Amino acid sequence: MLIFDNVSRIYPDGTQAVKDVSVQLKQGEFCVLLGPSGAGKSTLMNMVNGLVEPTSGKIVLDGELLTKKNLQMIQRSISMIHQQLYLVPRLSVLHNVLTGILPLAGFWQCMVKSFPVKDQQRACELLSEVGLIEKHLMRRASELSGGQQQRVAIARAFMASPKVVLADEPVASLDPAMSRSVLNSLKEAAQTNGATVLCTLHQMDYALEFADRIIALRDGEVFFDGPPSDMDADLQRRLYEIEHENLETQHTPTVKPVKKPTQPHLVDIKEAVA
Amino acid sequence: MNTDTQINKRRDWREWQTYQAITPKTILFLLVAFVLLSWSGHNTEMDRAAVETSKAVLSAVGIGDSNVLNGVSKFGSQAFPIQFSARTELSRLEGVDLQHLPWFSYVEEGVSREYYVDTDSWTETKAEYLVEPVGYLKKVLWMMWETIEMGFWGTVISMMISLPLGILAARNYSPHPIVYQMARGLLSFHRSMPELIVALFLVLIYGFGPIAGVLALATHTSGVLGKFFADEIENAPKGPQMALSSAGANPLKVLRYAVFPHVLPAWIAYIQYIFERNIRTATVLGIVGAGGIGMELKGRWDLFDYSHVATILLIIFITVVVLEFFSQKLRNKTL
Ligand SMILES: Nc1ncnc2c1ncn2[C@@H]1O[C@H](COP(=O)(O)OP(=O)(O)OP(=O)(O)O)[C@@H](O)[C@H]1O
Ligand SMILES: [Mg+2]
Repeated sequence: MLIFDNVSRIYPDGTQAVKDVSVQLKQGEFCVLLGPSGAGKSTLMNMVNGLVEPTSGKIVLDGELLTKKNLQMIQRSISMIHQQLYLVPRLSVLHNVLTGILPLAGFWQCMVKSFPVKDQQRACELLSEVGLIEKHLMRRASELSGGQQQRVAIARAFMASPKVVLADEPVASLDPAMSRSVLNSLKEAAQTNGATVLCTLHQMDYALEFADRIIALRDGEVFFDGPPSDMDADLQRRLYEIEHENLETQHTPTVKPVKKPTQPHLVDIKEAVA
Repeated sequence: MNTDTQINKRRDWREWQTYQAITPKTILFLLVAFVLLSWSGHNTEMDRAAVETSKAVLSAVGIGDSNVLNGVSKFGSQAFPIQFSARTELSRLEGVDLQHLPWFSYVEEGVSREYYVDTDSWTETKAEYLVEPVGYLKKVLWMMWETIEMGFWGTVISMMISLPLGILAARNYSPHPIVYQMARGLLSFHRSMPELIVALFLVLIYGFGPIAGVLALATHTSGVLGKFFADEIENAPKGPQMALSSAGANPLKVLRYAVFPHVLPAWIAYIQYIFERNIRTATVLGIVGAGGIGMELKGRWDLFDYSHVATILLIIFITVVVLEFFSQKLRNKTL
């Protein structure tokens, strides 16, 4: 269970990217994060794996409060699929996937690039789950197509058996058919591994199709939180509506959230930490 | 501020400031540069070099006389024919089986001249000489091989020094800013010491021979390689490194998987260049007694044996050309 409790983030230049976000993600939930560009989606995600520090508020994963001290421990149960993938171009597909277990693998094993057969087979299993074939295994990552690289990044993310997978626009640059199939792979991999997924998308129709739950941000605040069926056309239009007069200062929200986040029963944060 | 607003105000294009190639500033700059260059050129006798060289060219086509050309022809007349054979007095050799001489060698009668200090006179005695037709060539080739080996070990030791130092001198992987500064400082220090001078000192410490040469090469080039390694590590793309470290991998593992694969081709090319350079440098290190073919060159030069010197120069030249050829081939393969 991943809990955001009143999380805010103000960048040094004064930009308030995330504002008082309180959300709880259930184990195994496939949760899509929506919102216009600059709404704070990437910032929210980067706070979970420590790339960005919250200015205020708490993030709790399975009863563990995220702090600087236990950051490295918590990072091991969180995987991220970055918007730009960040595969190592000159490394083989197999080894790119194996880099997912670097934090857990023995030091000298890593240095001489000798991974146990068990781990290598796990990598193969994940790669075939996301639809790659044997002949891709020893190719350099840079020699694959964009969609194939996306699948390698997904396989890498699941390699360490994470509790939470963060995916920042995993289908940003793919054609519709490929997008659908990559999202399918992601969802199936999450289901077989029992991982919670927090995934940002820019395409409303994919969100409606794949999400168990949609969280929409606007100007850093939660604008909508609920099942896809509650996301009606009017809400969709307002979420992406541009305030023409305020383009320059888009961080002072003029559109008030129509629907307060529907959070049926928030667990008491102190209880959860204990 | 004032000009800013003027430019921002969208002036009519006819009034826009266009590009001017020659301004008073350029003319002043050229004038100053000319004065400085003239002064420095005179300091280094560049004017005399021009005069002497033109005189030599004129004299070559039969006009006038030139010291330079005389020098060239003096060396040329003594350098040829190039010395390939070795001629040794038989009585100075031990265990030569006259029945089974080495391939193609033969015994020759000759006179041996010896100088006696007491009487200040030369005595001439008849002696037998063993002549090996390519004996000297073989000796020079062997010394060239030794020189190549010196370059090789200089490069290997240099790599062993510069790899750890390079990692410590990479800002983003150095364990501490102080360590970073120290590693950078040490690398600069290594870089700033020319091989010949280091070799001079090392010959004092280790005595004549290749040890001094190899260590001198290693010291200087580890400074060059280490800085290159460090800069390459610093400039490697940050994304993959961030992806691995934010998953909880420690810095050394990140270095191994997100940095090394990226920098390896450049490193290999650079190490290859250093190896080539080390061999070229090793040929002259012998001049200060630090081993290799340069020792023989210096010895022969001091004895005015220009025909031997010519053999040595020829072998060095051929080696450098062959080296260039192979490393070009290798480069084409790795890139
Ligand atoms: N390092 C930073 N320093 C200052 N401001 C930042 C920084 N990173 C992001 N921001 C600002 O924070 C706000 C939210 O950025 P964020 O990247 O989270 O948006 P996003 O929702 O992911 O947008 P997109 O859909 O375009 O990826 C933006 O206004 C952005 O300019
Ligand atoms: Mg983003």
